[in-house]
Amino acid sequence: MFTVIAVDISGRHRIDAGYYMVCAAASVEITPTSIEKINEINTEAFLFSKPPELLDIVKIIENTAAKIKKKGALIVERGDLFNLDENLSKPMFTQEIRYQESIGERKAIELAHYVSLSTRNLLLKETGLDIRIHENDEDNIDAGDNADDNNKDGADVE
Amino acid sequence: MNPYQEAGEDAHRNVILVMRTDPDSDAEDNQRKLQEFSELTKALNDKVVDVITQERYPDRKYNVGSGKAKELAIVARDKKANRIIFYDPLSTSQIYNISKLCSEAGANCRVMDRFQLILDIFAQRATTHRSKLQVELARLRYELPNARILVSLSKKEERAGWGGLGDYEDSYEQDIKKRIARINTELKKADLEEEARRVYRHKNGFFIVSLAGYTNAGKSTLFNALVDEQTESKDMFFTTLIPKTRALIINKRKILLTDTVGFIEDLPHFLVDAFRSTLEGIYFSDMILLVVDFSEPTEHIRKKLMISHETLWEKSTSNIITVLNKSETMKPAERKKKLEELSHLIYNPIFISAKTGMGMPDLMNEIGMCLPPLVTQTISLPNNESGAAALSWFYDNGLVEEILYGKYMTFDFSATEDVMAKVNDIISKTQATL
Ligand SMILES: Nc1nc2c(ncn2[C@@H]2O[C@H](COP(=O)(O)OP(=O)(O)OP(=O)(O)O)[C@@H](O)[C@H]2O)c(=O)[nH]1
Repeated sequence: MFTVIAVDISGRHRIDAGYYMVCAAASVEITPTSIEKINEINTEAFLFSKPPELLDIVKIIENTAAKIKKKGALIVERGDLFNLDENLSKPMFTQEIRYQESIGERKAIELAHYVSLSTRNLLLKETGLDIRIHENDEDNIDAGDNADDNNKDGADVE
Repeated sequence: MNPYQEAGEDAHRNVILVMRTDPDSDAEDNQRKLQEFSELTKALNDKVVDVITQERYPDRKYNVGSGKAKELAIVARDKKANRIIFYDPLSTSQIYNISKLCSEAGANCRVMDRFQLILDIFAQRATTHRSKLQVELARLRYELPNARILVSLSKKEERAGWGGLGDYEDSYEQDIKKRIARINTELKKADLEEEARRVYRHKNGFFIVSLAGYTNAGKSTLFNALVDEQTESKDMFFTTLIPKTRALIINKRKILLTDTVGFIEDLPHFLVDAFRSTLEGIYFSDMILLVVDFSEPTEHIRKKLMISHETLWEKSTSNIITVLNKSETMKPAERKKKLEELSHLIYNPIFISAKTGMGMPDLMNEIGMCLPPLVTQTISLPNNESGAAALSWFYDNGLVEEILYGKYMTFDFSATEDVMAKVNDIISKTQATL
């Protein structure tokens, strides 16, 4: 088993308020084909007035992962880093980072993705920003009707 | 609609492989590609009668140089080749030019490229209606851009003969476009999962174990080794329905072992859907044996494993054994080091050699351990007609040990728990008729 921190960012498209992004970092124990245990999850929200550039994304990822106690290599989706070649993106980080390779890593990213997505949807609803979401928001799935559930850390994910 | 004649479609065909390589390319890499290329033809039972290679930049007219092309035509005639297959993608005019050289030399063969070969393999292995449609679609898409050139070439050749060629030209391209549209509509209707589920509905207590992996990893060799070593079960239903499938008994378990189409390096985009559709069986497997050629350089293995995981991850079981084949070619220390380097991608590793048999008992063991456990129960059925009818249900759904015949038929029955849950119903039906 390996400890990895899977990271995913939701909301990289423009809404009226600017670029409102939620990053989720999930520290998980994985095998090459499955998630065995979830240690902890941290989410952070970021608002940019300009489209985030590569170094912004690096900062977002590192800041979100910094709060995680149980450390491991960062697993990031290639697309989140502008499809940059791994050899070029690695040196930008202060810690070990890799694009997803195994089934287990893919599942971990999927988990982080659902957390960042639902957290962002919830935050948008709570803050009233959601009325101004652009139409082409492909990530915009229903985060559920329970507006009282402002469990920001997504700790109820199994 | 294929304007080229092909001789000997049945039996095995004689094929000549042609591979052109760039002058500054990596020799070892080329060798590996050639090896894989030649393995591909085996999937269709073809016989490679000659391999022609040339180092040069591609020629516009023949892909290889014109001298080489003429030589090729002579060889094709002398070796009675049915097919000449180029590694490089060929344009329609190249196919036309080479075919012309061949027929002038007196050879009677079809000229094609590697993509067309791959399409043939997919076509042969497509099981469901939907996967057949996918393969046909890929073929049409491949033909479409060439359709017009193809016809105008024939026009040049037979200027005098074909009067209404203009009409034909249009209709040929139109025809392909129409067929593409029709298949697209049909594909929308045909639900792959639904159909595959229908096929696998009758799995009757069988565990489906699929062999997956890149071409040349040794899947077929392992398949044959597993089949040779085990008793084959007589269940013909699946083995005739799904290509390359055998029913086996391993550790008291009834297993359907299926070989799948090998993953192919650098698969062009237009072939990806067709390839995935040939993997439908994998998505219903209880276990996957992911076969890896472990003698390759670590970096190659990593890339191949990565793509294998990407292909398998969403739809298939995560019950995977990573079979590290060709291990006999390495020293134990070397194997161990490679395994460590790739550990994040290798689940349940077993070192084997499908060729020498090394590690095969370990593999059998591992397969046994990874399958859902069996429960055994002693069953008594009345020795009459209704009992006999019930007995066939037991045969279909699990493993029936030796039967003692008396007033009752008594035997030990092993099956999974969900099958066992139905046993009482079956028995009580026979008692109702007593
Ligand atoms: N050294 C060695 N060679 C092997 C072993 N197993 C298979 N091979 C060789 O590897 C090559 C490919 O084996 P196949 O079984 O045809 O490979 P495959 O994965 O079925 O390939 P496709 O049918 O093309 O998908 C053949 O030349 C085999 O002889 C092994 O354990 N050791």
